[in-house]
Amino acid sequence: MSVPKRLLVIDNGSYECRVGWHDTKQPELRFRNVLTKPRKDRKKDNSQQIPDAAAIPTPTVDEIQVGNDISNIEAVRAHLKSPFERNVITNWNHQEQIFDYIFSKMGFDGDDSIKYPIVLTEALANPNMSRRQMSELLFECYNVPAVSYGIDALYSWRHHQQMHKQVADALIISFGYSTTHVIPVLGGRMQLEHVRRLNVGGFHINSYLFRLMQMKYPVHLNAISSRIDKLVHEHCHIALDYKEELLKWAQLDYYEAHVMKIQLPYNQVTATNALLTVEQKQEKRRELALRLLDIKNRREREKLQEDEEYLQVLRKLRQLYDQQNLQKFERALQQQQIGNLEELDKLIGTISARIKRIKERAVSGPSRPSKQQDKLDKMPKPPEGVPQAQWLAEMREKREELQRRKQARQQQRQEQAKRHTHAAQERMRIISTLARSEKRRKANAEEEDDGFGMNDNDWDVYKRINRYNDDSDSDAENERLLEYEKILHHYDAGFDDANNAALQALSAAENYQLHFGVEEIRVPEILFQPSMIGCTEAGLAELIAFVLKLFTAEEQQRLVSHVYLTGSCAQFRGLKQRLSKELLELRPFQSTFAIYESQDPTLAAWLGACLLASERNFAETSLTTRQQYQDRGSEYFREHRASNLYYPTPKD
Amino acid sequence: MDSPTPSQPKPKRSFKSPFAFPRNCVYRPLRQIHNTERNQKLPADQPTYFTLNAPPSLLPAKKYSDISGLPAPYVDPHSKLRYANAEEYSNMQHMPSDIINGYLTLRGYTSAVG
Repeated sequence: MSVPKRLLVIDNGSYECRVGWHDTKQPELRFRNVLTKPRKDRKKDNSQQIPDAAAIPTPTVDEIQVGNDISNIEAVRAHLKSPFERNVITNWNHQEQIFDYIFSKMGFDGDDSIKYPIVLTEALANPNMSRRQMSELLFECYNVPAVSYGIDALYSWRHHQQMHKQVADALIISFGYSTTHVIPVLGGRMQLEHVRRLNVGGFHINSYLFRLMQMKYPVHLNAISSRIDKLVHEHCHIALDYKEELLKWAQLDYYEAHVMKIQLPYNQVTATNALLTVEQKQEKRRELALRLLDIKNRREREKLQEDEEYLQVLRKLRQLYDQQNLQKFERALQQQQIGNLEELDKLIGTISARIKRIKERAVSGPSRPSKQQDKLDKMPKPPEGVPQAQWLAEMREKREELQRRKQARQQQRQEQAKRHTHAAQERMRIISTLARSEKRRKANAEEEDDGFGMNDNDWDVYKRINRYNDDSDSDAENERLLEYEKILHHYDAGFDDANNAALQALSAAENYQLHFGVEEIRVPEILFQPSMIGCTEAGLAELIAFVLKLFTAEEQQRLVSHVYLTGSCAQFRGLKQRLSKELLELRPFQSTFAIYESQDPTLAAWLGACLLASERNFAETSLTTRQQYQDRGSEYFREHRASNLYYPTPKD
Repeated sequence: MDSPTPSQPKPKRSFKSPFAFPRNCVYRPLRQIHNTERNQKLPADQPTYFTLNAPPSLLPAKKYSDISGLPAPYVDPHSKLRYANAEEYSNMQHMPSDIINGYLTLRGYTSAVG
């Protein structure tokens, strides 16, 4: 085999995929490892909106959008598909789409096969089945000449070793998107049997924050989903002492001083509306009423004029008849579509009556007392001897009480409608006790009266178990509520349906604020306490302790003297400090350890793979060639320093 | 695969050979892979993807308020939510049941009844 000049390095991460040539400093292509299939109608919209497909590659040609081609990733968030389940590839259709995308973007369109060997990352302890299918896909479908599989964390470690050349032992902690690995390395070799994987990663952190915010602010769902990534990346950090920091947050002063308030954009119009004073509002209303009245008057006048003209015509007709000009009269009747003389007379009568009525109204109208005055007179007044303010306050209290009761009933009703809720169970319990006492009473032939019904309140039991309860007495309450509201509306200038108008203006902005406080430490803490999201696995600190215990004391010391953090999630602020605190706690007194962070946590794996690929004997030692694939089966791969170990599947 | 478009003279995806996975191999969930591997009678000491899972935690899970995340000494027996103080409790009383359930599932709580 001729030694290929260049290798294509693909860091196929479950969050992001990075693709580039091994002799370059940067991956040429980076994209979210997801794809989506836009709906037909939406696709049409897209292509119309963006006719110049310079920036966005033609979505019309491709049904499926991959990675950076997805024009609006937030909009299709729910429809994103990934080839991965955790960190293992399970959906090969999707993986094929992604390879198509990669190779097209890298400019292989037009070639009849991929002529470059590929360096590809895979999951640690990738199941044979998954690797076999990957080999089949690469060799059969894309005709690659050779491939080399490796583990991202080990590639990253290789990159780190540039700076620490003599170090051969390490404890690698790799923070991935769906998993977190603790990888012991002794003498340059990964101790595969002692590697442990925590199935919590960046994905869980993101979705935990998303769910928390969503339930805290159910109204602002859309605004939240677009901000989650930013919040996680820029504002979350890992607490040094989680409990202590939580207690700090519990203090109101601390909360007020440190909470981050995110102001969402909101409709300014509603705010200005709310800002208007009551007088201004009334003024506006009056203006509107005047204008309406004006329109009505004008219409009436026009109608009047029309009627008068018509009447004139009819009168002339009548005159014709009176003058015995019958021929002309008949013709004119036909023209006006009137049957005979009687009809004509009737018509004249009604129209003149109408004109009279309208004229009368126009004269008497202004002098009539307005309806508003009527209403004012009918409005209840505070009882004698009670100041108005007090009376209103009482009224307001009563109204709130009613509203509270209404709400409580509504909630109860809602809960009873669902099975398994406490309310539904309580209802069943009451029904069964009632039934039992009924039976007992019958059996004892009413000898023993338990006194049920003596007290009027006893009968409320039936109201409580009625599923469609209390519509009857809530009607009366509703009426009272309306009355209170009317009175309050009238007397209390500041009263508004929702609440005080001025208050509303202030809170309009506040209603569109997201408070981001405890979440900043609570969310990434799930790495250390997976129990917070219902995961029973050991947290990171416990897991490190567990892995270390698998080694002898001397080996443990070798491992912890070089703890290496890599992966995107390793960028959380405070992670290193927290880990050193945890290690201090679990290591023997006065022993030493050192924690190193990756220089470039997200790219280190790709760079490390490039480094390995540029080593002199890489092709001979690490590439699985097409020949080997054909000879030794699709499961086979070459082991190397950064690869998994090859365990062939036993044949039965 | 696709016919060449005028703007793009190069044929699209000419690098592919006709190839398709057998139908049952296109998508295999992890659980299925796990089952197959278990039936393969691998040597007991051979590490696989599934033996590398983190062990279950032996430390007692700390109790935090479902709503605020603060340390929670109380549980509402009615909704089973944990809460840290009276203010949270009164807020909880007005919560619709889907939000309550959301908090419970987020914590991974499953009731013995339902």
